[in-house]
Amino acid sequence: MTPTYYLLLSALLFSLGAVGVLVRRNAIVVFMCVELMLNAVNLTLVTFSRMHGELDGQVMGFFVMVVAAAEVVVGLTIIMSIFRTRRSASVDDSNLLKY
Amino acid sequence: MLAPASGATDAVAASGLASLAWLLLALPAFGAAVLLLAGKRADKWGHLLGCATIIAAFAYGLALFFTTLGQGAEERTSELHLFDWIPVGALDVEFGLRLDPLSLTFVLLITGVGSLIHIYSIGYMAHEEGRRKFFAYLNLFVSAMLLLVLGNGFVTLYFGWEGVGLASYLLIGWYQYKPEAASAAKKAFLMNRVGDLGLAIAIFIMFKELGTTTYTDVFARVDELSSGSILAITLLLLLGACGKSGQFPLQAWLPDAMAGPTPVSALIHAATMVTAGVYLIARSNPIYNLSADGRLVVMIIGGVTLLIGCIIGCAYDDFKKVLAYSTVSQIGYMILAVGLGPVGYALGIMHLLTHGFFKAGLFLGAGSVMHGMNDEGNIRRMGGLAKYMPVTFATWALGYLALIGIPPFSGFFSKDAIIAAAFGEPGWRGYVFGGVALLGAALTAFYMTRLLILVFLGKPRWKELKTSEDGREYHPHESPWSMKIPMIVLAVGSVGAGFFLENGERLAGWLEPTLGPLQETHGALDHTMVAILSVALSLVGVALAFLLFGRKPQPTTRPLRVSFPVRAARADLYGNALNEALFARPGTWLSRALVFVDNKGVDGLVNGTAALLGGSSGRLRRLQTGFVRSYALSMLLGAICVLGALLMVRFS
Amino acid sequence: MTFLAQVELIKPPEIEYSAIAPVLIVLGAACVSVLFEAFLPKHQRWAAQVVLTMLTFIGAGTALGLYAGAETTTAQGITTLSGAVAVDRPVIFLWVTLLLLGFGSILLIADRSVEPGGAFVADAAVRPGTVQDRAQATRTGMQTEVFPLTLFALAGMMVFVAANDLLTMFIALEVLSLPLYLMCGLARRRRLLSQEAAVKYFLLGAFASAFFLYGLALLYGYAGSVKLADIATATAGSDKSDTLLFAGFGLLVVGLLFKASVGPFHAWTPDVYQGAPTPITAFMAACTKVAAFGGILRVLTVAFERTNWEWRGVLWGVAVASMVIGAVLGLTQTDVKRMVAYSSVAHAGFLLIGSISLTEQGLSGTLFYLLAYGFTTIAVFGVISLVRNADGEATHLSQWAGLAKRSPVLAGVFTFLLLALAGIPLTSGFVGKFVVFAAAIQDGLAPLVVVALVASAVAAFFYLRVIVLMYFSEPAPDGPTVTVPGAFTTIAITVGAAVTLVLGVWPSFALDWAGAGGFIF
Repeated sequence: MTPTYYLLLSALLFSLGAVGVLVRRNAIVVFMCVELMLNAVNLTLVTFSRMHGELDGQVMGFFVMVVAAAEVVVGLTIIMSIFRTRRSASVDDSNLLKY
Repeated sequence: MLAPASGATDAVAASGLASLAWLLLALPAFGAAVLLLAGKRADKWGHLLGCATIIAAFAYGLALFFTTLGQGAEERTSELHLFDWIPVGALDVEFGLRLDPLSLTFVLLITGVGSLIHIYSIGYMAHEEGRRKFFAYLNLFVSAMLLLVLGNGFVTLYFGWEGVGLASYLLIGWYQYKPEAASAAKKAFLMNRVGDLGLAIAIFIMFKELGTTTYTDVFARVDELSSGSILAITLLLLLGACGKSGQFPLQAWLPDAMAGPTPVSALIHAATMVTAGVYLIARSNPIYNLSADGRLVVMIIGGVTLLIGCIIGCAYDDFKKVLAYSTVSQIGYMILAVGLGPVGYALGIMHLLTHGFFKAGLFLGAGSVMHGMNDEGNIRRMGGLAKYMPVTFATWALGYLALIGIPPFSGFFSKDAIIAAAFGEPGWRGYVFGGVALLGAALTAFYMTRLLILVFLGKPRWKELKTSEDGREYHPHESPWSMKIPMIVLAVGSVGAGFFLENGERLAGWLEPTLGPLQETHGALDHTMVAILSVALSLVGVALAFLLFGRKPQPTTRPLRVSFPVRAARADLYGNALNEALFARPGTWLSRALVFVDNKGVDGLVNGTAALLGGSSGRLRRLQTGFVRSYALSMLLGAICVLGALLMVRFS
Repeated sequence: MTFLAQVELIKPPEIEYSAIAPVLIVLGAACVSVLFEAFLPKHQRWAAQVVLTMLTFIGAGTALGLYAGAETTTAQGITTLSGAVAVDRPVIFLWVTLLLLGFGSILLIADRSVEPGGAFVADAAVRPGTVQDRAQATRTGMQTEVFPLTLFALAGMMVFVAANDLLTMFIALEVLSLPLYLMCGLARRRRLLSQEAAVKYFLLGAFASAFFLYGLALLYGYAGSVKLADIATATAGSDKSDTLLFAGFGLLVVGLLFKASVGPFHAWTPDVYQGAPTPITAFMAACTKVAAFGGILRVLTVAFERTNWEWRGVLWGVAVASMVIGAVLGLTQTDVKRMVAYSSVAHAGFLLIGSISLTEQGLSGTLFYLLAYGFTTIAVFGVISLVRNADGEATHLSQWAGLAKRSPVLAGVFTFLLLALAGIPLTSGFVGKFVVFAAAIQDGLAPLVVVALVASAVAAFFYLRVIVLMYFSEPAPDGPTVTVPGAFTTIAITVGAAVTLVLGVWPSFALDWAGAGGFIF
């Protein structure tokens, strides 16, 4: 099976995540879309790792997961605090800073 | 007929007394600096310091002159290197002085006449408030003028050239509360700019073609230039000379410059600065020697100017303005002489020297008269003053005789030599230029006699008027000694200088290392014939003037119903109108057009750009909607553009 | 133990501890600082944290000084940790710059005199707008967590500029970003704005990280390694797919440009600069800019120099976009912090010009520019934090009218700093622009420099507008007052302004230092 399919799939997932960031309003969902993009990258890394016949890419996948986890911690904190303030998780409600 | 470019003889480094030549510049400059910086504290002794520095410079100049006189002809040219002035890439202008017979002659003239006029000014300016500043400016002028004649290259000359222009501007505008003085100063400055531009471009051409601007190098290599470049340089230098020396078509500022104090008119606008153009052409003789066409233009300018000056001089009623046009006309003679080439350089310089004596004397006499007459300048309100001012009258009359060329006064020797040399030109030129010069001599005699009659002889018309226009009563009186002595000294010069310099070709021999040997010509009329003719014509002029003005009383106001020639002369032969039509009005139109373009176009462009930027800024900032999703969109679009561009560059 | 004996002996990677000691000290201090938060009673924390932070900077500075001073055999730099980190001349310059600017920021952060209790919220968990929130606004405590967060961010920045492979760079990017997201939301006043800034920064930052990471993955696919040196080797005439290379490069660069707030990836900058507490804005504007451009310089020079023909034109366009956006949009800003934010976007464009002229002059010029710009920016935000009314900082420009009459000293200092931002001679801003533009012209980027000069001229307008406003307008009767700053803020502003002047008058020593050597990989 040619690795191109894996790469195309990961590119598709990455694009889906990017589009999701643009179209979804809920901050949590937006954030999950970012996570989707990161996982698409993981798929790419693992595919290339297999192609090159080494483990570096797969190890990098673990790094990405750790970073993503840390990002979740920080992100959820921030989203939580603004949710408590505004009683809304919609990113469109945070619209005071503009122009 | 062309002489070898003897001006380019190798200069030796200055030594001995000559190595102190920088003192010539430094003394007056020091005086000016002290007087300007010391402020009011120097009011009491400032004028004495001013005189002392000039007299010291004169004494040093004399010593230098006699030292040089004791040397052989080939040792008389020396250079004194002071410092590197402008070392920029290929352009390396050194600040150095060139001591040779020509520059030493000018040094003596400038410091000598300058000293006399400084002394005269002590008395003349005694009642002026800013006398100290006046002396500072005079010192500044002398310093700059010495730099002009002593510099060893065209750039140094240009520096001095601008320096005297500045001093002249400051001194013409001395009575700054008088509108005519202010506008005269402006006019002088602006018209000089036109000439200076020519000089500057000539220097640029020299640098471009030869890579140097020092006299020695330029004159040594001038034959490398194409004839076109040489012609261009000669014409541009002539333009510079026209501006500074009040030659056609830039003559109009000089009479207006008489709005300055009379000592200024005598020193700057008669004896020294206005002769800088003659100096320039004489100094550049190796260049002019190579261009007969260039010299022809010089002669034409000289001839035209000398006639214009005479004719206008006949019609004016202002004492100093008549003298000013007389100066214009006499400088026309000098320009004509140096335009003749090797037969005329030394003659031009000789007339310049004698003219320096008698014209300065005439101006000082005029100043003395005006000083005694409540600063009255209108000769129709004078008359019969000889009785009241005997010394002034006597010295003035000697200057007058010198000017109109009566033997044995000095003007006779210098002017006749020029007329004779002009007749020496081959073919039609000899008759035209000789004839013009002769006619000029007759006219000079006419207008000067008119001046003499109206001022010193005839009925004392001021007695009928009693008061001058500002209401003060006329009490004509002789001037103090500080004014009389310079007049007497100058009168002696007017009498004897011509014979002294002419005798045995003393001056021509002295100047030979710089200007080349004075060549003799034999033209249509021989010298004796020319001398007789010119004296005769002058006497005719004198007689005519006596007939017209001496027999009947003159009105105290100028008659208005006069013939066309007089009207034309009174209107400066429409010189101002010509300038107005040719330069000023197109200039005004151009500036109006530019103002229009500036208002509508440039300002519009600037304001429009500002409005465009502001407007687009105001609209674009709306893109910053505050929605995080639209920011993400802008980032994504940016990323897509970057990616697309990268791949396009790679794969297209 | 027989089991262990069977195991083949492994050789651990060499670690040059003396070289990476500054980073280790900062990271270690950050951990200690977290322990302080956990175990010290609340009233002792501020003092303890300040002392610890100061000691950290002294220690890190000393370690760096010792290493840089003792360096003999490794004069041009080394790589360590299996080549993951490089410590070479530019890195040492950037580390010194980061430590100095970080120290300046810490002074602003630690100050409790300008705003009683400091610029940070006393209890971040309290809901804004409630009674408790109004009460905590007057309490004198602050969330001292900001100190460890700052130290972590600083350590991330230091690793970021030294990272010699993309993975290390990514980790460092996250280590520097995550604390900043949090710090943005800690303002004591206007907490809604502060939290909004944090959300925006976080979401966009995570989005940009994803781009960076995808670029990393594609480059890994291209070169089989994420080491910058290996990528450089791979670009030298291989038969691999250039699509992977350029797609990867593009995505990677987008992630970096986002951090550097280069237009059109600048959208977060004005909002976050305005919403974040002013000391944090100063920290972000100065240090993040240094770190991001340090990374951009290294990536472009080390990994992609051979392919510069393909990407240079694209970054050329990005630089133009950034300068134009910064200069034009800055014209109509009414908030002084937003205005400085757009100014930083324009400056990012100028810096990008220096970064893409891949010469020694370009490198040293950009490094100098970063040093100069950082100090000026810290002083600018220090001054901004002093102009206050009852609601906190008075950042609306109309409130700055006639400020020169109220406080001539402050107006004078601010005028000088604005002139430095505009690039007027005798300020460091002029020298910085001059060296960067000169390098760009030498490298054939003259048209770009023309655009940059036009953009500088346009940008100068809005700096001058503030100066005119301060000097030639009548002060409003209910206008803001100028707080007399305590020692910390005074030092930060004074040093910032002094460095701006010194680098403008006598830049040669810093220029020599910035040009001491190139990247080692």
